Amino acid sequence: MRYGFVIDLKRCYGCYSCTVACKATNHTPKNIDFAKCIQGETGIYPSALRQMLPTLCMQCSEPECLKVCPTGATLQDEHGVVTVDKDICMGCGYCMMACPYGQRHKVQLWETYFPDGPPELDPYQAYAKEKWEVKNGYGIAAKCDFCQDRVNDGKQPACVEACPAKARYFGDLDDPESEISILIRRERGFQLNPEFGTDPSVYYLPAR
Amino acid sequence: MILKAQTKWGWFIAAYLFLAGVGGGAYVTGAVAGFGGPEWTLISKIGVLLSFPCVGVGCLFLILDLGSPKNFWRSAMKPATSWIARGTIVITIFMILGVLHAGLWIWPSQMLDTAQGLHTLISVLGILFAFGTMIYTGILLGAARPLAFWSTAMLPLLFLVSALSTGIMAVIFIGSLAGAAGHALLVLGKIDLLIILQEIFVLGFYLQATHRVRESRASARLVLAGSSAPLFWLGVVCLGLLVPLAFDLLTIYALSGPAGHTLGLLASCCGLLGGLFLRKVVLSGGIYAPLAAGRFEYALTNI
Repeated sequence: MRYGFVIDLKRCYGCYSCTVACKATNHTPKNIDFAKCIQGETGIYPSALRQMLPTLCMQCSEPECLKVCPTGATLQDEHGVVTVDKDICMGCGYCMMACPYGQRHKVQLWETYFPDGPPELDPYQAYAKEKWEVKNGYGIAAKCDFCQDRVNDGKQPACVEACPAKARYFGDLDDPESEISILIRRERGFQLNPEFGTDPSVYYLPAR
Repeated sequence: MILKAQTKWGWFIAAYLFLAGVGGGAYVTGAVAGFGGPEWTLISKIGVLLSFPCVGVGCLFLILDLGSPKNFWRSAMKPATSWIARGTIVITIFMILGVLHAGLWIWPSQMLDTAQGLHTLISVLGILFAFGTMIYTGILLGAARPLAFWSTAMLPLLFLVSALSTGIMAVIFIGSLAGAAGHALLVLGKIDLLIILQEIFVLGFYLQATHRVRESRASARLVLAGSSAPLFWLGVVCLGLLVPLAFDLLTIYALSGPAGHTLGLLASCCGLLGGLFLRKVVLSGGIYAPLAAGRFEYALTNI
Protein backbone atom coordinates (compact mmCIF):
# COMPACT_ATOMS: atom_id res chain seq x y z
CA MET A 1 0.00 0.00 0.00
CA ARG A 2 1.36 3.38 -1.03
CA TYR A 3 -0.48 6.45 0.19
CA GLY A 4 -1.06 9.08 -2.46
CA PHE A 5 -2.79 12.34 -3.19
CA VAL A 6 -4.64 13.68 -6.18
CA ILE A 7 -5.11 17.43 -6.40
CA ASP A 8 -7.58 18.59 -9.05
CA LEU A 9 -6.30 21.94 -10.31
CA LYS A 10 -9.50 22.77 -12.18
CA ARG A 11 -11.45 22.53 -8.92
CA CYS A 12 -9.05 24.52 -6.74
CA TYR A 13 -10.00 28.19 -6.42
CA GLY A 14 -7.29 29.17 -3.99
CA CYS A 15 -9.19 29.69 -0.71
CA TYR A 16 -6.26 28.51 1.45
CA SER A 17 -8.52 26.22 3.51
CA CYS A 18 -5.91 23.46 3.21
CA THR A 19 -3.20 25.79 4.53
CA VAL A 20 -5.28 26.83 7.53
CA ALA A 21 -6.59 23.33 8.30
CA CYS A 22 -3.03 22.01 8.18
CA LYS A 23 -1.84 24.74 10.50
CA ALA A 24 -4.63 24.00 12.95
CA THR A 25 -3.86 20.28 12.89
CA ASN A 26 -0.08 20.28 12.87
CA HIS A 27 0.42 23.43 14.99
CA THR A 28 3.12 24.75 12.69
CA PRO A 29 4.95 27.91 13.83
CA LYS A 30 4.78 31.29 12.15
CA ASN A 31 5.94 31.28 8.52
CA ILE A 32 5.90 27.49 8.33
CA ASP A 33 3.19 25.90 6.17
CA PHE A 34 3.22 22.21 5.35
CA ALA A 35 0.31 22.75 2.93
CA LYS A 36 1.15 25.83 0.93
CA CYS A 37 -0.74 27.35 -1.99
CA ILE A 38 1.41 29.08 -4.60
CA GLN A 39 0.00 31.55 -7.10
CA GLY A 40 0.95 31.22 -10.75
CA GLU A 41 0.34 33.41 -13.76
CA THR A 42 0.80 32.94 -17.48
CA GLY A 43 0.21 35.02 -20.60
CA ILE A 44 -0.14 38.78 -21.02
CA TYR A 45 -3.30 40.85 -20.55
CA PRO A 46 -5.97 40.47 -21.94
CA SER A 47 -5.26 36.77 -22.32
CA ALA A 48 -3.63 36.29 -18.92
CA LEU A 49 -4.51 33.35 -16.69
CA ARG A 50 -4.09 32.73 -13.01
CA GLN A 51 -3.84 29.32 -11.39
CA MET A 52 -3.26 28.19 -7.83
CA LEU A 53 -0.94 25.32 -7.05
CA PRO A 54 -1.64 23.71 -3.67
CA THR A 55 1.49 21.91 -2.48
CA LEU A 56 2.42 19.56 0.31
CA CYS A 57 5.19 17.02 0.84
CA MET A 58 5.16 14.81 -2.26
CA GLN A 59 6.24 11.71 -0.23
CA CYS A 60 8.37 10.72 -3.24
CA SER A 61 9.18 7.07 -3.71
CA GLU A 62 12.74 8.12 -4.58
CA PRO A 63 13.12 11.00 -2.12
CA GLU A 64 16.05 13.35 -2.63
CA CYS A 65 15.82 14.31 1.04
CA LEU A 66 16.29 10.68 2.08
CA LYS A 67 19.31 10.33 -0.20
CA VAL A 68 21.15 13.41 1.07
CA CYS A 69 20.36 12.98 4.79
CA PRO A 70 23.77 12.26 6.39
CA THR A 71 22.50 11.06 9.77
CA GLY A 72 19.81 8.56 8.84
CA ALA A 73 17.17 10.71 10.53
CA THR A 74 15.03 10.68 7.39
CA LEU A 75 12.99 7.49 7.12
CA GLN A 76 10.47 6.06 4.68
CA ASP A 77 7.76 3.77 6.02
CA GLU A 78 5.98 0.88 4.25
CA HIS A 79 3.28 3.26 2.98
CA GLY A 80 5.87 5.49 1.28
CA VAL A 81 5.52 8.25 3.87
CA VAL A 82 8.79 10.07 4.58
CA THR A 83 9.34 11.12 8.19
CA VAL A 84 12.11 12.67 10.29
CA ASP A 85 13.37 11.20 13.55
CA LYS A 86 13.71 14.33 15.64
CA ASP A 87 16.18 12.76 18.05
CA ILE A 88 18.62 11.87 15.28
CA CYS A 89 18.39 14.89 12.95
CA MET A 90 21.26 17.36 13.39
CA GLY A 91 19.62 20.18 11.47
CA CYS A 92 22.22 20.60 8.72
CA GLY A 93 19.60 21.76 6.23
CA TYR A 94 20.90 19.57 3.40
CA CYS A 95 17.40 18.13 2.82
CA MET A 96 16.04 21.66 2.45
CA MET A 97 18.55 22.24 -0.32
CA ALA A 98 17.85 18.92 -2.03
CA CYS A 99 14.01 18.89 -1.98
CA PRO A 100 12.83 20.20 -5.36
CA TYR A 101 9.40 21.02 -3.92
CA GLY A 102 10.45 23.20 -0.97
CA GLN A 103 8.71 20.91 1.52
CA ARG A 104 11.40 20.75 4.18
CA HIS A 105 11.20 23.25 7.01
CA LYS A 106 13.31 24.28 9.98
CA VAL A 107 12.59 26.73 12.80
CA GLN A 108 15.11 27.77 15.39
CA LEU A 109 12.60 29.09 17.94
CA TRP A 110 8.91 29.78 18.39
CA GLU A 111 8.05 33.24 17.11
CA THR A 112 4.85 34.83 18.33
CA TYR A 113 2.24 35.89 15.80
CA PHE A 114 1.73 39.11 17.74
CA PRO A 115 5.14 40.73 18.24
CA ASP A 116 3.54 43.92 19.62
CA GLY A 117 1.36 42.03 22.11
CA PRO A 118 2.10 41.02 25.70
CA PRO A 119 5.36 39.13 26.26
CA GLU A 120 3.69 35.89 27.37
CA LEU A 121 2.01 33.72 24.73
CA ASP A 122 -1.77 33.60 24.54
CA PRO A 123 -3.26 30.19 25.53
CA TYR A 124 -3.84 29.14 21.90
CA GLN A 125 -0.25 29.75 20.91
CA ALA A 126 1.03 28.20 24.12
CA TYR A 127 -0.98 25.06 23.29
CA ALA A 128 0.34 24.99 19.72
CA LYS A 129 3.90 25.55 20.90
CA GLU A 130 3.67 22.64 23.32
CA LYS A 131 2.24 20.35 20.61
CA TRP A 132 4.96 21.42 18.18
CA GLU A 133 7.70 20.73 20.70
CA VAL A 134 6.38 17.24 21.41
CA LYS A 135 6.13 16.20 17.78
CA ASN A 136 8.82 18.24 16.01
CA GLY A 137 11.00 20.64 17.96
CA TYR A 138 13.50 23.31 17.03
CA GLY A 139 16.53 23.38 14.79
CA ILE A 140 15.64 20.14 13.06
CA ALA A 141 13.87 19.30 9.81
CA ALA A 142 10.08 19.18 9.96
CA LYS A 143 7.68 18.16 7.25
CA CYS A 144 4.19 17.03 6.23
CA ASP A 145 3.58 13.34 6.96
CA PHE A 146 0.17 12.99 5.25
CA CYS A 147 -1.40 13.43 8.73
CA GLN A 148 -0.24 10.02 9.97
CA ASP A 149 -2.03 10.37 13.30
CA ARG A 150 -5.38 11.12 11.65
CA VAL A 151 -4.97 8.44 8.98
CA ASN A 152 -4.13 5.82 11.62
CA ASP A 153 -7.37 6.81 13.36
CA GLY A 154 -9.27 6.10 10.15
CA LYS A 155 -9.72 9.76 9.25
CA GLN A 156 -8.73 11.70 6.12
CA PRO A 157 -5.77 14.12 6.21
CA ALA A 158 -6.87 17.54 7.51
CA CYS A 159 -6.35 19.34 4.20
CA VAL A 160 -8.53 16.82 2.35
CA GLU A 161 -11.34 17.10 4.87
CA ALA A 162 -11.23 20.90 4.84
CA CYS A 163 -11.17 21.45 1.08
CA PRO A 164 -14.55 23.03 0.19
CA ALA A 165 -14.03 22.56 -3.54
CA LYS A 166 -13.38 18.83 -3.16
CA ALA A 167 -10.16 19.30 -5.08
CA ARG A 168 -8.11 16.92 -2.94
CA TYR A 169 -8.31 13.15 -2.80
CA PHE A 170 -6.35 10.79 -0.58
CA GLY A 171 -5.99 7.06 -1.19
CA ASP A 172 -3.88 4.08 -2.22
CA LEU A 173 -1.76 4.40 -5.35
CA ASP A 174 -0.97 0.66 -5.44
CA ASP A 175 -4.64 -0.28 -5.79
CA PRO A 176 -5.66 0.22 -9.46
CA GLU A 177 -9.32 0.42 -8.45
CA SER A 178 -8.91 3.15 -5.83
CA GLU A 179 -10.52 6.54 -6.49
CA ILE A 180 -7.17 8.29 -6.95
CA SER A 181 -5.79 5.63 -9.31
CA ILE A 182 -8.90 5.92 -11.49
CA LEU A 183 -8.70 9.73 -11.45
CA ILE A 184 -5.02 9.67 -12.44
CA ARG A 185 -5.77 7.31 -15.34
CA ARG A 186 -8.92 9.02 -16.61
CA GLU A 187 -7.86 12.64 -16.26
CA ARG A 188 -4.20 12.41 -17.21
CA GLY A 189 -2.78 13.00 -13.76
CA PHE A 190 0.81 14.25 -13.72
CA GLN A 191 3.57 14.69 -11.16
CA LEU A 192 5.47 17.92 -10.54
CA ASN A 193 8.95 18.25 -12.06
CA PRO A 194 9.50 14.60 -13.03
CA GLU A 195 12.97 15.56 -14.32
CA PHE A 196 14.33 15.12 -10.80
CA GLY A 197 13.42 11.43 -10.89
CA THR A 198 11.75 11.53 -7.48
CA ASP A 199 8.47 9.81 -8.48
CA PRO A 200 6.18 11.83 -6.17
CA SER A 201 3.09 10.26 -4.60
CA VAL A 202 1.14 13.48 -5.19
CA TYR A 203 -0.53 13.73 -8.60
CA TYR A 204 -2.17 16.77 -10.13
CA LEU A 205 -5.07 16.82 -12.58
CA PRO A 206 -4.64 19.42 -15.35
CA ALA A 207 -6.32 22.80 -14.87
CA ARG A 208 -8.13 23.10 -18.17
CA MET B 1 7.35 35.19 -11.65
CA ILE B 2 10.39 36.19 -9.64
CA LEU B 3 12.68 33.36 -8.58
CA LYS B 4 14.17 33.94 -5.15
CA ALA B 5 17.53 32.71 -3.91
CA GLN B 6 17.96 30.39 -0.97
CA THR B 7 18.72 32.07 2.34
CA LYS B 8 19.32 29.12 4.67
CA TRP B 9 23.01 28.67 4.01
CA GLY B 10 24.94 31.89 4.59
CA TRP B 11 28.25 33.15 5.93
CA PHE B 12 28.86 30.22 8.31
CA ILE B 13 28.67 27.65 5.52
CA ALA B 14 30.72 29.98 3.30
CA ALA B 15 33.39 30.13 6.03
CA TYR B 16 33.35 26.33 6.30
CA LEU B 17 33.73 25.81 2.54
CA PHE B 18 36.47 28.44 2.45
CA LEU B 19 38.47 27.15 5.41
CA ALA B 20 38.24 23.53 4.23
CA GLY B 21 39.65 24.78 0.92
CA VAL B 22 42.46 26.77 2.55
CA GLY B 23 43.41 23.82 4.76
CA GLY B 24 43.51 21.43 1.81
CA GLY B 25 45.42 23.87 -0.38
CA ALA B 26 47.94 24.70 2.33
CA TYR B 27 48.57 21.01 2.97
CA VAL B 28 49.18 20.29 -0.73
CA THR B 29 51.54 23.28 -0.88
CA GLY B 30 53.37 22.10 2.21
CA ALA B 31 53.54 18.42 1.32
CA VAL B 32 54.75 19.10 -2.23
CA ALA B 33 57.31 21.59 -0.91
CA GLY B 34 58.46 18.84 1.45
CA PHE B 35 59.86 16.98 -1.55
CA GLY B 36 61.93 20.06 -2.55
CA GLY B 37 64.92 19.77 -0.29
CA PRO B 38 66.19 21.62 2.79
CA GLU B 39 65.49 25.18 1.61
CA TRP B 40 61.79 24.28 1.43
CA THR B 41 61.55 22.79 4.92
CA LEU B 42 60.10 25.92 6.57
CA ILE B 43 57.48 26.39 3.83
CA SER B 44 56.57 22.73 4.08
CA LYS B 45 56.19 22.88 7.86
CA ILE B 46 54.00 25.98 7.58
CA GLY B 47 51.74 24.25 5.06
CA VAL B 48 51.34 21.18 7.26
CA LEU B 49 50.74 23.29 10.37
CA LEU B 50 48.06 25.34 8.60
CA SER B 51 46.16 22.36 7.21
CA PHE B 52 44.28 20.68 10.02
CA PRO B 53 43.67 23.80 12.17
CA CYS B 54 42.04 25.57 9.20
CA VAL B 55 39.82 22.59 8.43
CA GLY B 56 39.07 22.16 12.13
CA VAL B 57 37.97 25.78 12.55
CA GLY B 58 35.89 25.38 9.37
CA CYS B 59 34.16 22.37 10.87
CA LEU B 60 33.42 24.45 13.98
CA PHE B 61 31.60 26.95 11.75
CA LEU B 62 29.64 24.06 10.25
CA ILE B 63 28.69 22.76 13.68
CA LEU B 64 27.63 26.26 14.77
CA ASP B 65 25.34 26.40 11.73
CA LEU B 66 23.59 23.16 12.68
CA GLY B 67 20.10 23.40 14.10
CA SER B 68 20.80 20.63 16.59
CA PRO B 69 24.58 20.62 17.21
CA LYS B 70 24.35 17.91 19.87
CA ASN B 71 23.79 15.40 17.07
CA PHE B 72 26.77 16.51 14.97
CA TRP B 73 28.58 13.23 15.64
CA ARG B 74 25.94 11.45 13.57
CA SER B 75 26.99 13.31 10.44
CA ALA B 76 28.82 10.32 8.94
CA MET B 77 26.13 7.69 9.48
CA LYS B 78 24.96 7.32 5.88
CA PRO B 79 27.93 7.45 3.49
CA ALA B 80 26.12 5.19 1.02
CA THR B 81 24.03 8.05 -0.37
CA SER B 82 24.82 11.30 1.40
CA TRP B 83 27.67 13.60 0.38
CA ILE B 84 27.81 15.25 3.79
CA ALA B 85 28.46 11.83 5.33
CA ARG B 86 31.12 11.00 2.72
CA GLY B 87 32.70 14.42 3.16
CA THR B 88 32.78 14.05 6.93
CA ILE B 89 34.75 10.82 6.54
CA VAL B 90 37.19 12.33 4.01
CA ILE B 91 37.74 15.44 6.13
CA THR B 92 38.22 13.40 9.31
CA ILE B 93 40.84 11.19 7.66
CA PHE B 94 42.53 14.28 6.23
CA MET B 95 42.69 15.94 9.64
CA ILE B 96 44.06 12.78 11.25
CA LEU B 97 46.77 12.58 8.57
CA GLY B 98 47.57 16.27 9.11
CA VAL B 99 47.88 15.80 12.86
CA LEU B 100 50.02 12.70 12.29
CA HIS B 101 52.26 14.55 9.85
CA ALA B 102 52.74 17.48 12.23
CA GLY B 103 53.04 15.28 15.30
CA LEU B 104 55.76 13.04 13.83
CA TRP B 105 57.68 15.80 12.07
CA ILE B 106 57.40 19.04 14.02
CA TRP B 107 56.16 18.45 17.54
CA PRO B 108 56.38 16.35 19.77
CA SER B 109 58.45 13.97 17.61
CA GLN B 110 60.87 14.66 14.74
CA MET B 111 61.15 11.06 13.57
CA LEU B 112 60.10 11.89 9.97
CA ASP B 113 63.42 13.71 9.48
CA THR B 114 65.07 10.30 9.39
CA ALA B 115 62.22 8.03 8.30
CA GLN B 116 62.03 9.25 4.70
CA GLY B 117 59.81 6.41 3.50
CA LEU B 118 57.17 7.07 6.12
CA HIS B 119 57.36 10.81 5.38
CA THR B 120 56.66 10.18 1.70
CA LEU B 121 53.82 7.79 2.49
CA ILE B 122 52.08 10.25 4.84
CA SER B 123 52.60 13.09 2.36
CA VAL B 124 51.15 11.18 -0.58
CA LEU B 125 48.13 9.96 1.42
CA GLY B 126 47.65 13.45 2.82
CA ILE B 127 47.78 15.02 -0.64
CA LEU B 128 45.14 12.55 -1.84
CA PHE B 129 42.79 13.36 1.02
CA ALA B 130 43.56 17.09 0.71
CA PHE B 131 42.34 16.94 -2.88
CA GLY B 132 39.31 15.00 -1.66
CA THR B 133 38.57 17.74 0.87
CA MET B 134 38.93 20.56 -1.65
CA ILE B 135 36.81 18.88 -4.33
CA TYR B 136 34.22 17.69 -1.82
CA THR B 137 33.22 21.27 -0.95
CA GLY B 138 32.03 21.66 -4.54
CA ILE B 139 30.35 18.26 -4.76
CA LEU B 140 28.50 18.94 -1.49
CA LEU B 141 26.67 21.83 -3.14
CA GLY B 142 26.43 19.99 -6.45
CA ALA B 143 24.33 17.23 -4.90
CA ALA B 144 21.51 19.71 -4.28
CA ARG B 145 19.91 19.06 -7.64
CA PRO B 146 17.10 21.64 -7.68
CA LEU B 147 19.68 24.44 -7.53
CA ALA B 148 21.12 24.39 -11.03
CA PHE B 149 23.71 27.05 -10.15
CA TRP B 150 25.33 24.57 -7.75
CA SER B 151 24.52 21.36 -9.52
CA THR B 152 27.19 21.62 -12.18
CA ALA B 153 30.46 19.82 -12.85
CA MET B 154 32.25 23.18 -12.96
CA LEU B 155 31.69 23.98 -9.29
CA PRO B 156 34.06 21.35 -7.80
CA LEU B 157 36.70 22.53 -10.28
CA LEU B 158 36.14 26.18 -9.37
CA PHE B 159 36.39 25.43 -5.66
CA LEU B 160 39.46 23.24 -6.22
CA VAL B 161 41.32 25.97 -8.10
CA SER B 162 40.28 28.58 -5.54
CA ALA B 163 41.29 26.26 -2.69
CA LEU B 164 44.76 25.70 -4.18
CA SER B 165 45.21 29.41 -4.73
CA THR B 166 44.03 30.44 -1.25
CA GLY B 167 46.09 27.62 0.30
CA ILE B 168 49.25 28.87 -1.38
CA MET B 169 48.42 32.43 -0.34
CA ALA B 170 47.94 31.37 3.28
CA VAL B 171 51.38 29.71 3.17
CA ILE B 172 52.94 32.82 1.56
CA PHE B 173 51.32 35.00 4.22
CA ILE B 174 52.60 33.01 7.19
CA GLY B 175 55.88 32.31 5.38
CA SER B 176 56.56 36.03 4.87
CA LEU B 177 55.86 36.71 8.53
CA ALA B 178 58.02 33.77 9.64
CA GLY B 179 60.92 34.93 7.48
CA ALA B 180 60.98 32.17 4.88
CA ALA B 181 63.60 32.32 2.12
CA GLY B 182 62.77 34.99 -0.47
CA HIS B 183 63.51 32.59 -3.29
CA ALA B 184 60.96 30.04 -2.06
CA LEU B 185 58.29 32.72 -1.62
CA LEU B 186 58.97 33.98 -5.14
CA VAL B 187 58.46 30.50 -6.59
CA LEU B 188 55.21 30.14 -4.65
CA GLY B 189 54.13 33.55 -5.96
CA LYS B 190 54.77 32.41 -9.52
CA ILE B 191 52.74 29.23 -9.05
CA ASP B 192 49.98 31.27 -7.44
CA LEU B 193 49.99 33.62 -10.43
CA LEU B 194 49.34 30.69 -12.77
CA ILE B 195 46.57 29.35 -10.55
CA ILE B 196 44.88 32.76 -10.33
CA LEU B 197 44.92 32.95 -14.13
CA GLN B 198 43.32 29.52 -14.24
CA GLU B 199 40.75 30.58 -11.67
CA ILE B 200 39.72 33.53 -13.84
CA PHE B 201 39.10 31.15 -16.74
CA VAL B 202 37.26 28.57 -14.62
CA LEU B 203 35.07 31.29 -13.10
CA GLY B 204 34.26 32.53 -16.59
CA PHE B 205 33.33 29.07 -17.81
CA TYR B 206 31.33 28.42 -14.63
CA LEU B 207 29.20 31.49 -15.25
CA GLN B 208 28.96 30.75 -18.96
CA ALA B 209 27.62 27.26 -18.19
CA THR B 210 24.57 28.77 -16.47
CA HIS B 211 22.78 29.56 -19.72
CA ARG B 212 20.99 26.22 -20.00
CA VAL B 213 18.11 26.52 -17.59
CA ARG B 214 15.98 29.34 -16.35
CA GLU B 215 16.91 29.18 -12.68
CA SER B 216 20.65 29.21 -13.27
CA ARG B 217 20.27 32.13 -15.69
CA ALA B 218 18.48 33.90 -12.86
CA SER B 219 21.40 32.97 -10.57
CA ALA B 220 23.89 34.42 -13.04
CA ARG B 221 21.87 37.64 -13.25
CA LEU B 222 21.75 37.83 -9.46
CA VAL B 223 25.51 37.41 -9.23
CA LEU B 224 26.50 39.65 -12.17
CA ALA B 225 23.92 42.41 -11.88
CA GLY B 226 21.63 41.70 -8.93
CA SER B 227 21.92 41.81 -5.17
CA SER B 228 25.16 39.78 -5.07
CA ALA B 229 26.85 41.90 -7.74
CA PRO B 230 28.75 44.28 -5.41
CA LEU B 231 30.24 41.36 -3.48
CA PHE B 232 31.05 39.56 -6.74
CA TRP B 233 32.67 42.43 -8.65
CA LEU B 234 34.42 44.12 -5.74
CA GLY B 235 35.04 41.17 -3.42
CA VAL B 236 35.68 38.28 -5.79
CA VAL B 237 36.86 39.82 -9.06
CA CYS B 238 38.78 42.88 -7.82
CA LEU B 239 39.93 41.89 -4.34
CA GLY B 240 40.21 38.15 -4.92
CA LEU B 241 41.59 37.94 -8.46
CA LEU B 242 42.80 41.20 -10.01
CA VAL B 243 44.57 42.68 -6.98
CA PRO B 244 46.56 39.50 -6.15
CA LEU B 245 47.30 39.09 -9.86
CA ALA B 246 48.69 42.64 -10.14
CA PHE B 247 50.59 42.43 -6.85
CA ASP B 248 52.04 39.03 -7.75
CA LEU B 249 53.21 40.41 -11.11
CA LEU B 250 54.78 43.43 -9.40
CA THR B 251 56.57 41.32 -6.78
CA ILE B 252 57.91 38.91 -9.40
CA TYR B 253 58.98 41.34 -12.12
CA ALA B 254 59.37 44.82 -10.65
CA LEU B 255 59.80 45.04 -6.92
CA SER B 256 62.08 43.21 -4.60
CA GLY B 257 63.15 43.66 -1.00
CA PRO B 258 60.83 45.03 1.71
CA ALA B 259 58.36 46.65 -0.73
CA GLY B 260 57.83 43.35 -2.52
CA HIS B 261 57.57 41.63 0.83
CA THR B 262 54.73 43.95 1.95
CA LEU B 263 53.04 43.64 -1.42
CA GLY B 264 53.16 39.86 -1.14
CA LEU B 265 51.53 40.02 2.29
CA LEU B 266 48.80 42.33 0.99
CA ALA B 267 48.21 40.18 -2.09
CA SER B 268 47.70 37.06 -0.02
CA CYS B 269 45.33 38.87 2.38
CA CYS B 270 43.20 40.13 -0.50
CA GLY B 271 43.23 36.77 -2.21
CA LEU B 272 42.15 34.97 0.98
CA LEU B 273 39.25 37.38 1.48
CA GLY B 274 38.30 36.92 -2.17
CA GLY B 275 38.16 33.15 -1.63
CA LEU B 276 35.70 33.60 1.24
CA PHE B 277 33.60 35.99 -0.83
CA LEU B 278 33.57 33.54 -3.74
CA ARG B 279 31.97 30.87 -1.52
CA LYS B 280 29.41 33.37 -0.23
CA VAL B 281 28.54 34.58 -3.74
CA VAL B 282 28.01 31.01 -4.96
CA LEU B 283 25.87 30.21 -1.90
CA SER B 284 23.67 33.29 -2.16
CA GLY B 285 23.25 32.72 -5.89
CA GLY B 286 21.54 29.36 -5.34
CA ILE B 287 18.07 29.53 -6.91
CA TYR B 288 15.58 26.64 -6.94
CA ALA B 289 14.03 25.33 -10.13
CA PRO B 290 10.45 26.58 -10.49
CA LEU B 291 7.64 24.05 -10.16
CA ALA B 292 6.02 23.37 -13.53
CA ALA B 293 2.35 22.45 -13.97
CA GLY B 294 1.06 22.69 -17.52
CA ARG B 295 1.62 26.20 -18.87
CA PHE B 296 2.22 27.55 -15.39
CA GLU B 297 5.46 27.91 -13.50
CA TYR B 298 5.61 28.54 -9.79
CA ALA B 299 8.46 30.06 -7.83
CA LEU B 300 9.11 28.30 -4.56
CA THR B 301 8.36 30.49 -1.57
CA ASN B 302 9.44 30.23 2.05
CA ILE B 303 12.94 28.97 1.26
